[in-house]
Amino acid sequence: MSDDHKKNDELIHPVARPFLWLDAKWLKSSMIWIFGILTVAFVAADIFHPRHEYVPLAELTGFYAWWGFGAFVLAVMIGWIGVRGVLGREENYWDEEGDND
Amino acid sequence: MIETFHIESLAHVSPAWPVIIAGLIAAIIAHNPVRKALALLAPILALLLWFNPTTTGTFGLIEFGGFTLETFRYDNLSRIWSLVFIIAAFINGLYGLHEKDRLADVMGLIYSGAGLGAVFAGDLLTLFFFWELTAISSVFLIWGSRNNASYKAGLRYLGIHILSGVLLLAGAVIRASETGSWAFDGSLSIDTIGGFLIFIAFGIKCAFPFLHNWLQDAYPKATITGAVVLSAFTTKLAVYALARGYAGTEILIYIGAVMTAFPVFFAVVENDLRKVLSYSLNNQLGFMVVGIGVGTELALNGAAAHAFVHIIYKALLFMSMGAVLHRVGTVKGSELGGLFKSMPATTFFCLIGAASISAFPLFSGFVAKALTLAAVAQEHHTLVWLVLVFASAGVLEHSGIKIPYFAFFAHDKGLRVREAPVNMLMAMGLAALLCVYLGINYGVLYELVPYPEAALYYEPYTFDHIVGQMQLLLAAMFAFTVLVRFKLYPDEKRSVNVDFDWIYRRFLDGAARWAWQMIDRLNAAVGNVVSSAQSRMGVKAFEIFSPGGQLSRDIPSGVLAIWTSALLAVVLLIAYLAP
Repeated sequence: MSDDHKKNDELIHPVARPFLWLDAKWLKSSMIWIFGILTVAFVAADIFHPRHEYVPLAELTGFYAWWGFGAFVLAVMIGWIGVRGVLGREENYWDEEGDND
Repeated sequence: MIETFHIESLAHVSPAWPVIIAGLIAAIIAHNPVRKALALLAPILALLLWFNPTTTGTFGLIEFGGFTLETFRYDNLSRIWSLVFIIAAFINGLYGLHEKDRLADVMGLIYSGAGLGAVFAGDLLTLFFFWELTAISSVFLIWGSRNNASYKAGLRYLGIHILSGVLLLAGAVIRASETGSWAFDGSLSIDTIGGFLIFIAFGIKCAFPFLHNWLQDAYPKATITGAVVLSAFTTKLAVYALARGYAGTEILIYIGAVMTAFPVFFAVVENDLRKVLSYSLNNQLGFMVVGIGVGTELALNGAAAHAFVHIIYKALLFMSMGAVLHRVGTVKGSELGGLFKSMPATTFFCLIGAASISAFPLFSGFVAKALTLAAVAQEHHTLVWLVLVFASAGVLEHSGIKIPYFAFFAHDKGLRVREAPVNMLMAMGLAALLCVYLGINYGVLYELVPYPEAALYYEPYTFDHIVGQMQLLLAAMFAFTVLVRFKLYPDEKRSVNVDFDWIYRRFLDGAARWAWQMIDRLNAAVGNVVSSAQSRMGVKAFEIFSPGGQLSRDIPSGVLAIWTSALLAVVLLIAYLAP
């Protein structure tokens, strides 16, 4: 945390003070484990209690987890490489017409 | 309940009128508190009128110029849409209480009322009237930002929406000339010219792919309250119109599927968080459009329920970003972070909106989106269903994670601002309460949908559905943490991404400017030639007719006599040879 932030800490909202742990480094580094374990737990639920779906593909064990993980990564990569890489412009791109986004 | 509120003399009065009239009254009231009272009172009056009819039917008939305008069609479809419009109007009024802008008050009310009027319209002419009124009134919510960018975006917005109205009118006139009917109902078809034009008119307002950029262009440039108001009405009115006129039109399934997917890619790397929400809005509309395209009772219930909850949680998300913009002065993701320390209540409400739109169990999105997905799966549109599940993960990315994470958490930028004004918090609190209430007491929502008896057979809180949805959401969040850990998640960057609007903002604009320059040059060249010719002719004429010219010279009488004799000889010769 920078000195500027420390100087501003007295301005933190009283209601937020009990939740400052949300900004803790240990929590940020633990998130990958928390979500990983929770995902595995819900996939494991499929093993003990197979789901019944209208779409046969969705009855595969952990289908939604695989699809969700893959979809998220795909969305981010297409956005990053495809959209920002190809369609990304400087922030002042629209300045010529005086209506920069 | 209905009997309690029934007032016979007002049985034929559309709930749209008190809201529109309140807007007109607000226009002449300089006293800000009175205008604010009107903004809150008008939706309450509208709600009383909403409860008033004891039966479904078409009321409020107005004879005008040989036409019968049907201003109050009260049935299962208009009921649910109008109710959420009334709720949105009230929340908007509450959210904007701190603002002192007469034009925004007036236009906000007229726009809300026009949206209601369009939903209750029983014929295409009445629909056209309110359709255009929504366009004209809403543009002032964009111009209200009072800067050059919003002015130009407003002009583009107005042009596109007026075009939508013109297409609607043209389609209605063509259809009426062919069938003699102005009916706004399921008899509309894209197989006729008139029906197709009306379909495109609805498609423009619904932000179909390639017709969508007015949304991402205008909404982020609107005023803080304006963006919240805009997010509720225009596009959902179009969804209603499609549900009313084109339910079961197959092409809508594929249009909707594309709508759910492509905005996700743009939202991922967009820096302006209100623009992220605009792309997110586009994505959510796709789910509704798919439901309308499928057209079964379950699917239409899904579209209606989704529209209902979407208006509320999307407004909540726009309100939370509006509160950030109000306090910090920007909603650029690259400049935000750590705001939960300053704005804990706003953060809390934003998280509820994010959970709702991501369809976490116990939140409203879960019980609404499930209807559409089930209907799509039941009708064996497997590929489309897979796209929708993909888009559901995408929703979590841009609205469930990106919005709250980059605004309120991520890297603390040391921004220490005041919490949002009380009225903003109250409006957000009310919307958040509804998100949770409808997620838990989903029966209330299912009773409102167009086919409640079909909805009663659907149970959203099954083990399979909860486990499947939690797998999807948790795995997507796990993917987020993995990408962040391995630095594979794009940073928020000060940049813009061009979209299809590049075609008209740059290419067509450039082509028009080039054509104008060419015409200018051609005009100059033609002008030069003409003026040169005129000049030469002038000189020649001067040489001939001027006092010193050829015709003014003395001609010898002998020469004249010879010419006269020659002409006489020619005349005589012709007379002799003539038969």
